[in-house]
Amino acid sequence: MGEGHARKRAAPMRSLVNWALLGLVIDRPSYAYELAQRFDRTYENAIALSSVSHVYIALTTLEERGFVEEIEGTRMGRQPRPHYRATEAGVEAYRDSLVQQIGEDRQRQRLFVLELGAFARIPEIALDIIDQVERSCLAEAGKAPLPDMEPGAGSTALMARLVAEENRRAIGAKLAWAQYARQSFRALRTRE
Amino acid sequence: MSLLVIDRVTKTLREGGRMSVALREVTLEIDPGEYVVVWGLRCSGRSTLMRIAAGVEEPDRGVVRYEGHDLREREVLGEGIGFCQKRFGSDECPTVLDQVMVGLLARGIPQPVARTLAEAALERCGALGLARASAASLHEVERVCVAIARVLTHGPRLLVIDEPTNGVELLKRDSVLGLLRSIADDGTAVLASAGDATELSGADRTLALSDGELRGETVPAFAEVVPLRRTA
Repeated sequence: MGEGHARKRAAPMRSLVNWALLGLVIDRPSYAYELAQRFDRTYENAIALSSVSHVYIALTTLEERGFVEEIEGTRMGRQPRPHYRATEAGVEAYRDSLVQQIGEDRQRQRLFVLELGAFARIPEIALDIIDQVERSCLAEAGKAPLPDMEPGAGSTALMARLVAEENRRAIGAKLAWAQYARQSFRALRTRE
Repeated sequence: MSLLVIDRVTKTLREGGRMSVALREVTLEIDPGEYVVVWGLRCSGRSTLMRIAAGVEEPDRGVVRYEGHDLREREVLGEGIGFCQKRFGSDECPTVLDQVMVGLLARGIPQPVARTLAEAALERCGALGLARASAASLHEVERVCVAIARVLTHGPRLLVIDEPTNGVELLKRDSVLGLLRSIADDGTAVLASAGDATELSGADRTLALSDGELRGETVPAFAEVVPLRRTA
């Protein structure tokens, strides 16, 4: 293993596709083509592959980083389909990546709120932005499909349900915040 | 023509000697087969809006029209409009089937016919298995489904329901929302209120009520409707 490889492993993995693919391998070891199909089903509307070959490139990266490994004996036969499974390091890195995202989401939200504060002297603009936040949340909430609650559905369905619920809860929190923000800016306007 | 038109409705509530504006110049139109959900925090006026839309309560100002007729001039509650109430009263109706049949019997519908209609409505709501259960023993999700079935027996064109999933176990909530969506898909308009934004899922239009004002109306033509389940 050369120096270059070591440097590559040390650098943080930024590709969202790579992380998303690692999640699929953790969920269920599989081969590239099946992963590509599952990728589309699982992450539709959230993140997209440029092509099926994108999965091969991502798998190579994940393997180089030691996050996935090829399962022995799956490369044989007339149509070899090497299967990949997640390594312990892969699961750990994936978990850490998720935890980090929690902080990043909160940071983005805080920044938005702080920037909105710039309109404290022009509350009409802030109120207009808040209206747009509310409209956007309402539209998104209505569009959110009700997840399939059929018992026995697999991990893909479970993930879809968890994503849907997280999304709905986040929208609900933002809607409630919009009400509070509107009342606060209105109070500011009245005082002035 | 819209099925229901709430036109610049204002309602003031008096509680403990205080006056508060529950609805302020609220305007809303509902078309046949539409599923509209109004979200609001506590005391936002969402329950008042539901009662006024159903004709259970009258506005102080403004007018509510059902099929073009002023609700104050024409009683349509229980016929064209079904107002879903989750409370079951009366010891005379001990079983679920009794509860669902009672309204039909009160209208003079013969018992065998009432029974058939009640069973069909219960089946439509996935609650036929509860027909012989004690109404007092129902879980919240079952209570809601039975309450909806009771309203459906009258074949309403508009179903109004206040906080359908309030108190329903988390993992059962979406089955209630799915039922309401499917009722709208069958052509009965549904107007529901929501205290929790998770109840907005699956709606054709979603609105927010705050300070008595209705906001965030999305125009159906622009709102992408996502099917509840993938079609085969």
